[in-house]
Formats: sequence, structure tokens, C-alpha cells
Amino acid sequence: MSEISYGELLRRNRELEATLEGKRLKIALLSNVVVAQLKEILEYSLRSCGVNAQVELGDYDNVVQDSARFAGHDVVALFWEPCNFIDGLHYRAALMGADELAALRERLFGELDLTLGNLRLTPLVLFNRFSTLLFNCHELRDTALDRLCRDLNHRLEERAGANLLAVDVDRVIAQVSVAGSVEWRSFHSVRAPYRVEFLRAYAEHVSPALLSLAGRARKALIFDCDNTLWEGVLGEDGEEGIAMSAQTRQGRPFAEVQGIAKALGRDGVVLGLCSKNNPQDVDRVLTTHGDMTLRDEDLVVKRVNWADKVTNLQDIADTLNIGLDSLVFVDDSNFEIGLVRERLPEVVTLHVPATRYDYPALMRRLRVLFFTLSRSSEDAAKTRMYREEAQRQQAASSFASIEDYLRSLGLSLTLHVNDAGLVPRMAQLTQKTNQFNLTTRRYTEADVQRFLAGGAHLVLAFRVADRFGDYGITGLAIVEHAPGAQRARIDTLLMSCRVLGRNVERALFDRLVADLTARGARVLEAEYVRTTKNAQVEDLFDRFGLRVTEASDERKRYQLNLAGYAPAGIDYIEVMESDGRQG
Amino acid sequence: MEDRAKRVMASVFGVDVARIGADASAQTVEQWDSLRHMNLVVALEEEFRVRFTDQQIDELLSLRLIVLTLKELGAKE
Repeated sequence: MSEISYGELLRRNRELEATLEGKRLKIALLSNVVVAQLKEILEYSLRSCGVNAQVELGDYDNVVQDSARFAGHDVVALFWEPCNFIDGLHYRAALMGADELAALRERLFGELDLTLGNLRLTPLVLFNRFSTLLFNCHELRDTALDRLCRDLNHRLEERAGANLLAVDVDRVIAQVSVAGSVEWRSFHSVRAPYRVEFLRAYAEHVSPALLSLAGRARKALIFDCDNTLWEGVLGEDGEEGIAMSAQTRQGRPFAEVQGIAKALGRDGVVLGLCSKNNPQDVDRVLTTHGDMTLRDEDLVVKRVNWADKVTNLQDIADTLNIGLDSLVFVDDSNFEIGLVRERLPEVVTLHVPATRYDYPALMRRLRVLFFTLSRSSEDAAKTRMYREEAQRQQAASSFASIEDYLRSLGLSLTLHVNDAGLVPRMAQLTQKTNQFNLTTRRYTEADVQRFLAGGAHLVLAFRVADRFGDYGITGLAIVEHAPGAQRARIDTLLMSCRVLGRNVERALFDRLVADLTARGARVLEAEYVRTTKNAQVEDLFDRFGLRVTEASDERKRYQLNLAGYAPAGIDYIEVMESDGRQG
Repeated sequence: MEDRAKRVMASVFGVDVARIGADASAQTVEQWDSLRHMNLVVALEEEFRVRFTDQQIDELLSLRLIVLTLKELGAKE
């Protein structure tokens, strides 16, 4: 639940009540203490998820009779607090004799049995386990009250039907702290022991059960691959360079996340991939890499391609025949997460943290979104069913317009022309970049120095930034061109995969053509040299409008008459030179 | 301070803020029952970052008394 003020919550809850339509979810709240404030808090937590919930309060300290009265509601939630079984029991229990306590226990057993009997046909019963934590958290030994509660919890477990969820309130208190949960001021004046902070945490804690009942549980968990299922970039680092082994520090968080996902898959959650990668490379990792926990057979849908993720996620939802509001998407890139949040707000996203050690805990926190009340053997079979359905469908991919999103990013491209200070970084880029690399020529620092000193090359490094941050020097173009010469030739054009999908390459190419024209060039030659890793750019120059002059399996050569070039005219990327001069 | 208190009261009682006059009290606002009084206390404490004593809570029965008590507690305008 978002942290709005309590007054604001009351106001918004009233607004939602007036606007929400659809089937009512009727919830009764029964208690032997005052928890009236939970009504609005629980309503708001569900209504803000689109569930038309209505909470009705039972009478004060009338749980047994109310359980008969409200049994026809969709949900009955109970706060049956030991401190008020009889007035002041939290301190009186220590003063009572064994006989007295035994008699009380028998009476409570009877009341519990009656209540559970009354509620046996209610679709969902949220029954708080009996807890003494507010009163006994400093005790070293169990008290008489603890023993009584243990017996009652045992009885509850024995007699509960499949419709009952025993809620461990101690877990909620642990999240808030004991001092932050209890309000002694209102406990003594009106027997209201809980602070609003606790009630909000409680609503958040139980909401997955209620969302499940309302058919709103999430159904599919979709992962990016690089830096999401493993540390590293497969296309750059290769199979040996990526880490997801439980035996290494780098790999351990990823091994754990894969394990959590695999267990979810066994419980019927649909697992899938949405990744910009070469499909054959990913498939090989899935089938043969010894450190993988997730395997090909665990995955129902795979969209491993170079199309944008909005299109792919929509396609995944269509293929599985579920709504976008059933998806959870995990990715390490600010850009992709930002794009999905903006274009597909129904999708819940998890941004893989830079502090990788926090990743598994975030995943566990997210796991409750998939909570389902029924845990049948059908769940496991569901994976296979979805998988077969997905294989039958070969959905045609459509391309969403992502221009509005790109426009909102405040993208900038800063050019460094023949900048000797960047020689080490430029050499490193030629050594390490595999995927977006047209010719894959590897150069040493000395080689790059020679290009700069020789006067026959235009060496252009570029920096990309957007509102999420500065990605640093992430691309390089080396063009052979002696000033005044008519002919120019692209020797190297490469870009780090961190800045893919933003049309940066196109803005750069527009600029390159303008610069070369200004330097007197008339004709530009270029080539694509195929490697096992650069399939994603095999038609890059074709898309830019260059003419193929020669093509074989290994390479394609191109030519462009500069005067006839049609610039893309991208207006949402600000192109600058490194001295700040705008271009 | 009075305007902020009025806005809180309007949120808690579910009425338009214009309906909360300078002499609004538990007698004049029909929605002001004991349950909403609890909500009002929590919402005021959150909004003005103060903590009332139980004595003060019993006495917070009009806008004037609320503003007076908030000032006593040193709440910021």
C-alpha cells in the first residue's frame, strides 16, 4: 500500500466507494476488541486494486454469535484477542489457579468449535492465530497465557476447514515492531490495542488471500535474462563469463532467485522470458549450462528477440490468454522497467537492485502476489497446459510505437571527436563489444592512437545519458576519411548493449553523414561482417537506407551516396559535442 | 492551522470542507460519532506531528478546541 496519510486514505476510500463497480466482495470483521479502523484501511487496500470490497463490523466482543450472523459473507476476518477473552486476562492469567485456567480453556474450546462450525461454509475465513506478543515479548519463559494460546492454536489447527487461513499476526507485528503496533492509550480507554500502522501492515499482509478470492492473483512471472537470471551479459561475456552458480558470491543471489522462480512454477505460476538476446544462445544456456536451476521445460513462453519489450509482453499476455494485470516482469534495466511502467502500468515490475545481495529478498516479497487459496494438483499440470497452448499459437508480432516514451526520457548523445583522453576506453570497447558491432575489429590502445595521429580517420566516441542517469562512453565509430577526400569508409561501428533500443544509433548516423558531408565526402562505404554474436545488426545498414553492393554468408558491403541520404530527423535526442556546443 | 484542521476534519467526516465552519463541533457535525472521533485523533496527530494526552482526546470536541490544543502542543502553522 502506498504511504499516503490516514486522512487522505479515508478521503480516497470514500471516492473509490462511489466510483467502483463490479461484484461486491463482502467482508465481515469480527472482534472482541476495537479494530474499527481496519474497516476503511482494508477497504482502501482492496479498492485501490480494483476490488469492490465492503467491510462490515461485527458487534464489540460478540464473536460467537456474529459468526452465525455473518457466515453468508464472502469473507469473515477475526480478531479474537487473548487479552480480552475475559477482561484483563493478559495480567490476570498469572493470578489464576490451574483449575480456573482449565475451566477457561474448556469454555474457549467450546466457543472456538462453535465459531468454526458456524463458518464452515464461508468461502474464506481469515483467523488470526492467538498471539501474546504485545504483552510477552520480553519474557524468557512461556507464561500461563502463552500456554493457553498454544492449546487454542493447536485446537484451531485441528478443527479448521480448508476455507480457513490461520494468519500469523506475529509476522505482521514483526514488520512494524511491537512498539509500533500497540497503542496503550486507546487500549486502556476503549480496548483498541492496535495502531493504524499495524492495521495497514495487516491489510497488506492478508490482501493476497483476498485478491486470490477475487480472481486477482498474478499468474505469470516473466524474466529478462542478462543481469536478471544471471550476472553478466551472455552476448558479451559468453557462457563461461556469466554467473548463476550457488558456489560463487556473484552467482549466489541469481541461483536463489532461479530457485524461488522454479518453486513458483511448480505451484502453477507461469514462468517466461522476455529478453533482448540471440535465441540460440539463450536456449543453449537453458539446456546445457551446468549452473542453471531454471531449465527450458520450466519456461512456458519465451520472447527472446530484438523487438521492444512492450510488444513482447503484450504478445505474451495474448499468447497465454491472460490480462496484462496478471503479469509480473523482472529486469535489471532502468530503461526497460521505465518503459513497461509507462506503457503497461497494469504490469507489476521488479527492478533488479544494483546491490545484488538484496535481490532474493525482493523476490520473496514479490512472491505473495502469486498467492492462491487453492493448491490443487492441477497447478503443476497448468504449466504444461499453458506451454502447449503457447506452442500452438504463433502470434504475429506487432510493433508498438515507443516514441512517446523515448521522448519522455530526455535522451542526450555527446560526441567526442578524436579525443586522445578516451583511447583506453575506446580500445576496451573494440575488445569487449560483441552484439552491436558491425565489423568486430579488435584494436589495442596503440592502434587507436595511430588512427588519431594519422589524420586519415574520424574517430567518434559517444556518451549517452537520459533522466535515469549517464551511461558513460558507450559507443564508437571509426571512419576512414582524409579531409577533402570524396570517399569515406566505416571501419568500426559499435555500441554497448546497455543503450540499445533508444534509436541512438540512428541519431548518430544522421550526424555522421552531416559531418562527413561537411568534410567534403560524397560517398560512404560500409560493411557488415558476420560473427556468431552480431546477428542483431545484420540489417542495420539496410534499415538506414544504404545500398548493398556485395553480399555473401560472411559479409555484406554497402554504399551510400551522401547527397541522397534521408535523415531520420529524430528530435527527442539532443546531440552535442563534448565541449558543450550543440549540433 | 485552522484551514489544515478543517481539511482533516472534512476527510475524516466525509463532508465538503466548506461545511466545516469556525464553530464546528461534535454537536453541529452529525457524522462526528465516537468511532470517527478515533479516526480524527489519528489523522490530526499524523497531519500535525503531535501526540495528544488521553485527557486532551476527550476534550477535542470542536474546531476551536482542536486549534487551541494544537497550539498548546507547539504544532507548526
